[in-house]
Amino acid sequence: MARQQAYALRKKWKWVKGHPAMYLMLLPGLFFVFVYKFGPLYGLLMAFEDYDIFAGSNPIDAVAKSPWVGLKWFRQLFSSSQFKTVFLNTLEINLMKILFLFWIPILAAIMINEIHNGIWKKTVSTAIYVPYFFSWVVIYGVFYSILGSYGLVNQWLSSLGLKRIMFFSDPQVFRGVLVFTEGWKEIGYNTIIYLAAMTSIDPTLYEAARIDGASKVSQIWHVTLPGLLPTIVLMLILKVGYILDTGFEQVLIFYNPAVYDVADIIQTYVYRIGLGQANFSLATALGLFNSVVAFILIVGANTASKKLLGRSIW
Amino acid sequence: MRHQVKHLKPASFSERVFGILSYVLMTAFALICILPCLNIFSTGISNGTLVTTGEIAFWPRQIQWDTMGYIVKKTAFFNALKNSLVVTIIGTLVSMFTTITTAYPLAQTHMPGRKFIIMLYVFSMVFFGGIVPAYMVVNSLGILDTYAALILPFAIVHFNMFVMKSYFEGLPESVSEAATIDGATDTQTLCQIVLPMSKSVLATVGLLYAVNYWNNYFHAMMYTKSASMRTLQVYLYDLIQNGQSVLENLAGAALGSAQGNYEANITTQGVTAAAVTLSIIPIVALYPFVQRYVVQGITLGSVKG
Repeated sequence: MARQQAYALRKKWKWVKGHPAMYLMLLPGLFFVFVYKFGPLYGLLMAFEDYDIFAGSNPIDAVAKSPWVGLKWFRQLFSSSQFKTVFLNTLEINLMKILFLFWIPILAAIMINEIHNGIWKKTVSTAIYVPYFFSWVVIYGVFYSILGSYGLVNQWLSSLGLKRIMFFSDPQVFRGVLVFTEGWKEIGYNTIIYLAAMTSIDPTLYEAARIDGASKVSQIWHVTLPGLLPTIVLMLILKVGYILDTGFEQVLIFYNPAVYDVADIIQTYVYRIGLGQANFSLATALGLFNSVVAFILIVGANTASKKLLGRSIW
Repeated sequence: MRHQVKHLKPASFSERVFGILSYVLMTAFALICILPCLNIFSTGISNGTLVTTGEIAFWPRQIQWDTMGYIVKKTAFFNALKNSLVVTIIGTLVSMFTTITTAYPLAQTHMPGRKFIIMLYVFSMVFFGGIVPAYMVVNSLGILDTYAALILPFAIVHFNMFVMKSYFEGLPESVSEAATIDGATDTQTLCQIVLPMSKSVLATVGLLYAVNYWNNYFHAMMYTKSASMRTLQVYLYDLIQNGQSVLENLAGAALGSAQGNYEANITTQGVTAAAVTLSIIPIVALYPFVQRYVVQGITLGSVKG
């Protein structure tokens, strides 16, 4: 036993000695991870302090020198109505996106597969993921031109004698704009994922189903969907796992004070109170709450993925 | 065989309906993705009066280049373009170097300490320090308002690194073993054997990084202050938000000019649309060339996330 261990250790040491370059290569990546990913973790102490940026020689030094206040900010946070609003908005907006958008790429992939004209199929599947590569600012510009108060849609509405719709400032429709533009950017990309997953379905299954006299619909039901199920489950797990992390840049770019009540999410609120109002401690506390819940959700998602699909999501 | 089966069972009514529905709905889907782009393009190059009266939908009419000229000559467009290009090109190079040098060692399954380092990466991928602490770090390093602030914090995207790592893991081990027996060092094996075999994953990951840098708005906005450091996305956002003041500036400048037509062509909507069009030209122009890698990237990412 001891000899075996010693042997294994010697073998490891031999590998390390034989491959110093491998360890040197890791350094640049580790440098970036330590400075820019682990560095901010030290800054999280601000959540438990009355942080004063001028308490030290630089903002990081100030973290060590600011007075400790324990859970003050968390208490203040959890008793504020603003917290409830942004927390619920985050959940509601992202659940709406899942509810209205999640199933579309699955259906779209099945339908694109039904297009037998090669050029047509190629054109459609190329066109649908172009928007995925546009930034949120570009998408904002595009939809501002279409949905703005003097945009295309409103010009049409007013020429039909109908009332203009203030898509960007009416709280009643603003979430619809968020969901629609999210779909515009993401559906095509997700459709490609399902199309790729479809190519790995064994074609003999369709052959067998056809010989058994299965109709198109029952082929989709009994062959295509079961074949896609692992991908569908994985995508759903990821969507739920990342529910607190998505939508930030989109909302930040699209929203304005008129729709804060329905659109302000945790991250945008953190940004405004932290860097807008310089209330660093409170913003860090809320950010930490967000990170911890997000962490639990993602680890939970990974556990679910391992249980259901037998594979880790990273 | 297939022919026979088809013969036995002709397409039913519902099957044909589903087939037709697929063509119609998916063509509509493609149009929904493309028409807004045509609208923005047409608005930017059509006659200003037609634009303000809402007569431009998806096709340009009475084409004019005054608006494009205005964007290029009278606004900070070129400076913003330069900033975005610098950040995207240098950033992608830095990221590719870091990602390759991280993914390659971590793909060596016999490497002692590998699991621990992978754990560090997984942890920092799923636990986010937060916006304010990240800002504090960048601020303390004294790189606010420099290109470094737009590159270094994003030098390694964990997801991309894991995609590359699993690609390297999938390469046949015998290749690098043979190289080692021939006396090649690890760096030689990586540069002369492994990388030439990995062109497709390099292109895919490089593309993901480039798009990331090019499209980054939030961090560019947060980490830069001076007008000269604005990237294309920040410039564009400001232009869309302040469209009206752009026009007021123009009205002031146009007082001394005799070009009445020029002024009439330049409208708030037109200016925004032209700027958006100019900023997506690089993406649209590269699209046909990189498309193959895009699909590959999507597939790689979804199969081995």
